[in-house]
Amino acid sequence: MNTDLIKAHLNLNAVLVNLEDLVVLDAEMAALSKGWNLSVQFIVRKGPSAYIQFENGTCTVRRGRCKKPSVILYFFSPAHLVKMFDGKAQPVLLKGFTKLGFLMKDFPKLTARMEHYLKPTPELLADKNYLAVNTRFTITTAAFAIRELGLVEPVARMIASHIHKGVTLIKVLPNGPSAMLKFDNGTIEAEKGDFEKPMSAMLFRNLKVANDILNQKLDAFTAIATGDLRPRGQIGMIDSVSLLLDRIPLYLG
Amino acid sequence: MKTYTYKKSVALFKRAAKVIPCGIYGHLSPAPLVPATDYPFYASRAKGPRFWDVDGNEFIDYMCAYGPMVLGYNHPKVDAAAQKQLKSGNCITSPAPIMVELAEYIVDLISIADWAFFAKNGGDVTSYAIMTARAATGRKKIVLVHGGYHGVAPWAQAPGHPGVLDEDQSTILRVEWNDFEGLERLVSAHPGQIAGFLATPYHHPTFFDSVMPAPGYWSKVEALCRKNGIVLIIDDVRCGFRLDMRGSNEYFGFKPDLACYCKAIANGYPISALVGTEALKTAAARVFYTGSYWFSAVPMAASLAALKELRRIDGPALMLARGKKLLDGLVNIARSHGYTLRVSGAASMPSAYIADDESLMLHQDWCAECTKRGVFLTSHHNWFVSTAHTDAEIKKTWNVADEAFRVVRKKYGA
Repeated sequence: MNTDLIKAHLNLNAVLVNLEDLVVLDAEMAALSKGWNLSVQFIVRKGPSAYIQFENGTCTVRRGRCKKPSVILYFFSPAHLVKMFDGKAQPVLLKGFTKLGFLMKDFPKLTARMEHYLKPTPELLADKNYLAVNTRFTITTAAFAIRELGLVEPVARMIASHIHKGVTLIKVLPNGPSAMLKFDNGTIEAEKGDFEKPMSAMLFRNLKVANDILNQKLDAFTAIATGDLRPRGQIGMIDSVSLLLDRIPLYLG
Repeated sequence: MKTYTYKKSVALFKRAAKVIPCGIYGHLSPAPLVPATDYPFYASRAKGPRFWDVDGNEFIDYMCAYGPMVLGYNHPKVDAAAQKQLKSGNCITSPAPIMVELAEYIVDLISIADWAFFAKNGGDVTSYAIMTARAATGRKKIVLVHGGYHGVAPWAQAPGHPGVLDEDQSTILRVEWNDFEGLERLVSAHPGQIAGFLATPYHHPTFFDSVMPAPGYWSKVEALCRKNGIVLIIDDVRCGFRLDMRGSNEYFGFKPDLACYCKAIANGYPISALVGTEALKTAAARVFYTGSYWFSAVPMAASLAALKELRRIDGPALMLARGKKLLDGLVNIARSHGYTLRVSGAASMPSAYIADDESLMLHQDWCAECTKRGVFLTSHHNWFVSTAHTDAEIKKTWNVADEAFRVVRKKYGA
């Protein structure tokens, strides 16, 4: 099993996706990215690819290749990409030399802000707004990480192969944030947002509960008994999703 | 009907959560009860087919302690035998004579048994069974059925569970239930390497319908195992003595080499047994396997009394008949509300799901509404019927089920 490959998949396709919400939820980042109209392509040799598209104040992160990227960042290997995410390596700039200012100055501000929201401390979590953003990012990262694990991690693939067909909704009550996982015969798709009639649901009483459970500070079994976590529907799906969730910290520390 | 509340259960759980991992762990955890807040967490006492929770709520129990209760809680004959043995001694430096008496009785009772080995839990004897198969064959690999439950030893858990290593699964192969061709392919792909095939007599996975063996399945499996020197093991822990006193293999017409028993074997007293054929007795003897309480005499006395009573009243036939009566009524009541209650498995331990909502949310609500009205039903696991469930319990169950269907109909609409 190639651990760096799995980490590369998770970083590129589960972590970066939070940029989409960052430019909406964080006023400073919204202002920073408002005028950006460009795309950044990540290419990893023998690994995943993804791109980020900035357009009219919105950000879209997708797997695969963008048609005409403004910038292409190349990585020699999944390990190279992982090192970059750890701040220990730089990518090779294949295209976008005219965007060096963006790459050197502006884009790092955005990723640093995302990192700020993804690395909570007890003090930061005491802030209501921070808690809301961190919980949203945690749910999004979890959902998209599960999708990636289902693609590249052998144990996760085995677990996914027997999950009941349908949607599992992960939602903080009453109004979100939420994300969904679509299972179909071993394949997994992840999306942000709500779903009206899921096959199963993990419903968290509030942001704090969701945050504590997803960060493994509160055990889900106790939370279910107290009604803080309410599983509904096909419980076998929830059981499997829990196993998949447990695998994320093996690769995203 | 009045619905229950669980104030004392909740208070006790909060205390428990401080000093016990997840408050209540394992199969009695509230986690699979949906919604958990509609269920009691702690029982204060039990009698016959009923139990009372710490809030004083009374329940007709269709989980039967997840199987061990088979003659009714606090059965007088079983408890008297246990009490009598307790006066003589329980956990002593040497085994009590009751151990020999029980083994002789089981060898006489269970069709394939030439010997019996006692432990405490089902998982003790499923592990011992695969060790015995390995000792007998000199092979490593064990074939299990996907979704089958054989306890919580690392080899028996599904891959990916916390605390389970990939290495724990390295000698475990899995095949789908009823997939004889799949089993044949596995045997061909691992020639001379498979020590045993372990499965339940019929498939009763958690969260899903039970599935009976396809016609000819077991006879073909038996022949394949014989031909390839594979030890055929049945995990009769859950079905045992609820289908046939001679072993559930007799119900389905085949002969395993080893069979595992627990649950109904002693009506709630802690004991399990592995039984086997003469051919495997030496291998079983070579495996060193023991536990501090495995020679406790009280559960052995209880087991002997329970098995004698079950045999006297033909417990399996009684439970199958009462289960059928209960389920026929529930299916009709469901139909009268426009629902389909899909029943599978043996009537003495049926799996029942409302088929009108694939997500099972409606089914979960119905089970919870029944429970809040005094009929304890889980929505994720097969139920159990005991010989103590009489027409009075069945009639009350129908009444409660009827009202619960009305409640869910109102919630979910036509």
